Amino acid sequence: MELKTAVTIDEENSVARVALCGALNTDTAPGFEQNLQKVIAGGHQLTVLDMKDLDYISSAGLRVIFKAAKQTKAAGHRLAAANRKPHIDKVFEILKALPDMAVFANDQELDDYLDSMQKQVRGD
Amino acid sequence: MSKSITTRLIVLLTLCSALIMGTGMLVDYRLSREEILDRLHMESRDTIKSTIIDLENLLDGVEGSTLFLARILQQRDYTQPGLEQMLKDIVENNEDIYGATIALNPQRVDNPLGFAPYYHHKDGILTYADLASEQYNYRSQAWYTDTVTAGKPGWVEPYYDEGGGEVLMTTFAVPVYRVDEQGDRFLYAVVTADLTLEELQRYLQRLRLGQSGFATMLSRTGIILSGKNPANTMRHYSEAHSDELDSSTWREMFSSVLAGQAVTRQLECPEIFGRCMIRMDALQSTGWPVAVIYSEKEILSPLRKFQTKSTALGLITLLLMSLAVYFVTRRLTRPLAALAQASDDIARGELNTPLPAARGDDEVARLVRSFAAMKKDLKSYIADLEAATASRSRLEGELTAAREIQMSMLPRGGEAIERFEEYELWARVRPAKSVGGDLYSYYRSGRQLFIAVGDVSDKGVPAALFMAKAISLIQQLAGAEIEPAPAMVQLNNALEAGNDNCMFVTLFLGVLDLDNLQLRFASAGHTPPSLLRAGKVKVLKQDDGAALGLATDLEYPGNTLQLEPGDRLAIYTDGIDEAFNEQAEMFGFDRFNQCLAQTGQAPLAAAGSDIFAAIDHHAGTTAQSDDITLMLLQLKPDDHPGATKMDKISAHFSRGKNLISQVLDWIQQSLEDLGVPEDNHMVFTLVTEELVTNVDKYAELPVDGIIEITVEASAARVALEFRDKGIPFNPLQDAQRATLGADIESAEIGGLGVHLVTQLTDEQLYRHSDGHNVLRVTKLLQDV
Repeated sequence: MELKTAVTIDEENSVARVALCGALNTDTAPGFEQNLQKVIAGGHQLTVLDMKDLDYISSAGLRVIFKAAKQTKAAGHRLAAANRKPHIDKVFEILKALPDMAVFANDQELDDYLDSMQKQVRGD
Repeated sequence: MSKSITTRLIVLLTLCSALIMGTGMLVDYRLSREEILDRLHMESRDTIKSTIIDLENLLDGVEGSTLFLARILQQRDYTQPGLEQMLKDIVENNEDIYGATIALNPQRVDNPLGFAPYYHHKDGILTYADLASEQYNYRSQAWYTDTVTAGKPGWVEPYYDEGGGEVLMTTFAVPVYRVDEQGDRFLYAVVTADLTLEELQRYLQRLRLGQSGFATMLSRTGIILSGKNPANTMRHYSEAHSDELDSSTWREMFSSVLAGQAVTRQLECPEIFGRCMIRMDALQSTGWPVAVIYSEKEILSPLRKFQTKSTALGLITLLLMSLAVYFVTRRLTRPLAALAQASDDIARGELNTPLPAARGDDEVARLVRSFAAMKKDLKSYIADLEAATASRSRLEGELTAAREIQMSMLPRGGEAIERFEEYELWARVRPAKSVGGDLYSYYRSGRQLFIAVGDVSDKGVPAALFMAKAISLIQQLAGAEIEPAPAMVQLNNALEAGNDNCMFVTLFLGVLDLDNLQLRFASAGHTPPSLLRAGKVKVLKQDDGAALGLATDLEYPGNTLQLEPGDRLAIYTDGIDEAFNEQAEMFGFDRFNQCLAQTGQAPLAAAGSDIFAAIDHHAGTTAQSDDITLMLLQLKPDDHPGATKMDKISAHFSRGKNLISQVLDWIQQSLEDLGVPEDNHMVFTLVTEELVTNVDKYAELPVDGIIEITVEASAARVALEFRDKGIPFNPLQDAQRATLGADIESAEIGGLGVHLVTQLTDEQLYRHSDGHNVLRVTKLLQDV
């Protein structure tokens, strides 16, 4: 089981988008942690974890996300998750993970959120 | 009343008195009767003697006159008128003589008819008759011919003198002989004197022989000369009363008397009602029998009257005596009756009933006084008893409540039946007293069945209290799901603490894995259970430890037994094998195992009840001496409905790089191979990863340490088992666990895996056995 990550940066809106594909488990978590740390180090306002193609997540993976959430919060930034598959969603629920983390069920919700955030920034 | 002393005394005394009096009277009657009859006998002899003397005198007179006349005629000659005159004078002057004649020998008289003048007192007038008439012809009369023939004086048999005296008479006839010139003796005449039967009868009738007694006289031939009934005169005695006469006795008497022997006889008599007494003698001169006859009844009638009076008097005496006895005994027994009434009242609980007054110092008074003392004692005894009973019933009430509480500590209150898909469990506790020290418990946690059977030393309240402590601890441990052996160690230490009374408990603890039917158990000095398999009973071999509660830090070995479908396991306390009967024989293991085998086909609850019944039958009337507990565990046979076959796959993994990936690849493949529905794969993969990671991190395995993983799956569930030789580590308890739901600032990073495992599976069980950490998790599949 492998994990592939694709990072897209929207500098204009200061949004980093990390797409996960495959399994985030004990073996793949360390690699993912390195990648995510790099993204967070970028200091973007919002980091979105796109889990559309994530099939599996274990506690090792969640640990990485927890850590990232803690760091972004400390920096005054935000970490959000989008497109969680039902069984991924269930793991999150069980662990009552990241209650204040923004969660987007799909791309539309994410776009709406980004729009509203831009308006806030512009002071509309 | 008919059974009262009074009645019995009256009846008894009256009967005895009546018997004594009756016997006395009977003897008296007999003696008196003998006496009277003896006297009568004497009297009859006197009477007959005097009668005979009288008659003899009469006859002698007649004889004398006749003989005198005959002598005169012998010596002197008289003319015929002279003879007549002399005859007339004799008859006229002799009243006893009815008539007399001088009948000359006709051969010596000119007249061929002879000469026989006859004077007699016909109707009191001296009358003459000529007996030499043609009509009378004295020469042919018996008195003449017989006398001539006899040639000597004698009485002629009585006859009716037809043409002569014309009455019934008897005649004394004397032949007169003379000697002629030639010196020849010749009959000159026959001189007679007549005596009427009437005269004789008058003599006899003068006798006073009572109302019905009479005298009778017979001739030598048996002709009745005088009797009671005049109609019988001149008849032979045997003709008169020929029907009723006891003729043989009469004949015998008659001949005795004729031979000169007087006789006395008692016999049934005609002419007299009932028996009579006869005295018979005979006249010397004539030989005529004379008899006096007395009626016995008449003679004895005064005696009878006397007896009747005596009897009446006796009856009156008895009556009076009965009355006297009645009054006396009533007086004596009245206090007894009152006492009986009082004791009835006392028996009903009326202890204040007054007793009758006791006067004097007789037996009754002493009884009354004893009774009074008894009543007093009884009162105080009952008061004591009431107090004792009250406290006893209070105690019993408390014990009943205690029993209910104790039974409520046992699953299903002391008698349990549980039916599940794969097994049935039945258990029953029966304390010897209200409360007891036996216990059982069971607890199902997922696929693990925990069972316990124990027996506290002693019985009754102390045992019950210790049992309460023991079962609380056992049930706590059952919840904690510790393996039997270490649980036993903990229990022992917990029970030992503060156990100054040195109470102890023997205990069987077992955990049955329902998936693989493996029974893991430990025993603290408990009776080894019996296993019924395929109709045969086997006593389990067990490594056991000491009873719990006596010393700390003891070791308890674990045992493992592989059960099979259809097995029946019996776990019990020593109250069963040590149940005694009247002959002090124990029920014993053999009998128990035999019972277990015999009831093998019966449904579980019935089998359990049957075993209890067998124990009771053995004990008979002997009271149950110890608490009895029996737990039966029946595994369903393979073919029971709902049975599921578990398939399993195992693999060993060595630590190192890519451990998790290898494991996860294998597990996914295995799940596929076992046909586990795909939507469940993620859960098992996740759980496997979390647990393997835990072992990898914390078990302190060597670098190339091995982790063994087994997957078991059926249509209903999937079980995962992880074994390693690392340090004892129970991730369910010992692993770090994050507090869930915290704010991200305070949230811990890590410690999430165990949460996932417990949430995603239905059962998690850790044990440490054979130097291995064994962790087993099971999840029921949703579609079953």
